[in-house]
Amino acid sequence: MKSLVSLLLITLFLHANEAQAIIKKLEKNLRGDYMYSTMSMIVTSKRGKRTVKIESWSEENDKSFIKILYPKKDKGITFLKIDNQMWQYIPKIERTIKIPPSMMLQSWMGSDFTNDDMVKESSLEEDYSAKLLSKKGDSATLELIPKPDAAVVWGKIIIDVDLKNAVPVKEVFYDDMMQKVRIMTFSKIEQHGSHRVPMVMELKPLDPNKKKNRTKVIFEKVNFDTKIDPSYFTKQALKRYSR
Amino acid sequence: MLFSLAFRNIVKSKGRSITTLLLSTFSTILFICYVALMDGSHHQIIKSSVEIYTGYAHVNLNGYRDEGGYDNLIEEADRIDAILKNDASIKAYSPRFETYALLSGDEKAIGSLIAGIIPSREQDLSKLKDSLIKGDYLSDNDTNAIYVGSELSERLKVDVGSQIAMVGSSVDYSIAADLFTVKGIFKTGLFEFDSQSAFVNKAYLDTVMLSDNIASYFTLYFHNNDKIDKMTTDLQASLPSEYEAVNWKILLTALVQAMLVDSIFGYISISIFFLVIFFVIMIFSYVNIYTRAREIGLLRALGLTSKDIFGMLFVEILLLATVSIIIGTIIGASIAYYYELNPIVISGIAETYKEYGVVSDEIPMKFDLFTITWNALTIFILNLAAILYPISKINKLTAMEAMRYV
Repeated sequence: MKSLVSLLLITLFLHANEAQAIIKKLEKNLRGDYMYSTMSMIVTSKRGKRTVKIESWSEENDKSFIKILYPKKDKGITFLKIDNQMWQYIPKIERTIKIPPSMMLQSWMGSDFTNDDMVKESSLEEDYSAKLLSKKGDSATLELIPKPDAAVVWGKIIIDVDLKNAVPVKEVFYDDMMQKVRIMTFSKIEQHGSHRVPMVMELKPLDPNKKKNRTKVIFEKVNFDTKIDPSYFTKQALKRYSR
Repeated sequence: MLFSLAFRNIVKSKGRSITTLLLSTFSTILFICYVALMDGSHHQIIKSSVEIYTGYAHVNLNGYRDEGGYDNLIEEADRIDAILKNDASIKAYSPRFETYALLSGDEKAIGSLIAGIIPSREQDLSKLKDSLIKGDYLSDNDTNAIYVGSELSERLKVDVGSQIAMVGSSVDYSIAADLFTVKGIFKTGLFEFDSQSAFVNKAYLDTVMLSDNIASYFTLYFHNNDKIDKMTTDLQASLPSEYEAVNWKILLTALVQAMLVDSIFGYISISIFFLVIFFVIMIFSYVNIYTRAREIGLLRALGLTSKDIFGMLFVEILLLATVSIIIGTIIGASIAYYYELNPIVISGIAETYKEYGVVSDEIPMKFDLFTITWNALTIFILNLAAILYPISKINKLTAMEAMRYV
């Protein structure tokens, strides 16, 4: 009996360990020390469809600089994220404004992402305990439960992983009442340097009032290999690189 | 005969009758005034909330109240405007465009309601103009002028003439940003409203938000706001099916429910008081009746039945209760009427209770004949009920027992 229990515990431990290893591999693949990218964000809502073109620079997980390239009306608007704080610069009024905590759950640029999504440097590996739910060939399904002291908004994430490419295929987000809130799907995997990257991400909120809403992000250029000038991650950069 | 006997007893025992009368009259006055004051203060809080900004009724697209945002805007404001214009029951109305944006003074940025209003029309619909404390109210020709709440101006550290940057989202979800100069500062007394609201001339805000001919909703004021449910239902019939007309009872549901809960607690408190009054009347009647035990025994010996005794004592209390209720009601109603016209003023109460929506130091009473009638009837029934037990007890004694009763 004792050996049976021990075997069960060892199996559970190995499963947890394997799940954690998968997450670690996935994060390592998706994140480099530096990342430069350009992308199009297509936002579909009840009011129609709009496209925003974005240029982005980031360093590790805690610094990023975003510049809006299109539409013309928004061209030159820049965002800076350092740790959990976010600033934006609007060329039309030549003002840099820090986004206050009360606005963090507001939509970012009219998309289904919130300001909080842009700022949170949540690391799946550090903030969640992973459990392997199933594994078949090159695909696995993991359940991520936030660690007790993690400052995250989700109650649970179920993630389908492509083990061969070390990329997520689908992420289902649950709130703290364990209700499904949104689904993010990843597709079109490409090799960029030593990284395999899903070039298309689509976020779909599950709120019945937002049935028509979805936000699709299509990466156009991705570069992990070039060091980014630290001057991008300063408040002065907001105005300087706005032009 | 019973009536004349009862009347003779009342006149004969003046002290007893006057005490019963006073007790009952005082209870009636107290009850009427208490309820009038409670209803009056609730009415005042709701009226303030309705008239300061919300308005008596709104017309909006179905779903707007639940979801808000830009997905449920009135995209054909002209069409709704024309319908409301032709409705004879509406005294005044105006479109509003509301959004949530970041406002920033020199130092910090704050998320706030920013609403586009038609200044000239709004002054007949809300207390925004009357709440001006500094600078000027908006005009229909204003461009980059903003009218901000007093608490918001303090939080943003701005004054009349200061510049405020606004960053929000246009209706096409592109970034809307502009600089405004503070034209005026208002204070309604509603703390949350004063700390999170700013207003701009709608014609100009529409150019920034790309919301021309778009409104979040129309606010309106009927000629007869007392019959608001009927007015709203009638208006609904003239609107296209995708629109809804809702009145303040729904718009301010939380407040209405809070007032209801407060009323229930108010009635529970007063019920405890009346329980005490009831027992006081009952004990007083009990003692009274038993001091008259010999007299009652004699009447029984003379041939009056227990039914006659019950009738006589009941008529006594009926007469006393009727007189005291009439006097109490006249005095109570007069007090309620007087204080409805000349509210009680307690300086500083608005400041202390501002978060509960108390915006004035005046606490009016509410003179309502229906409420006064049921208040008076309650005391009347309480009086009659209080006598039943003592009468039944005395009637259980035989004539001999009653006559020997010490």
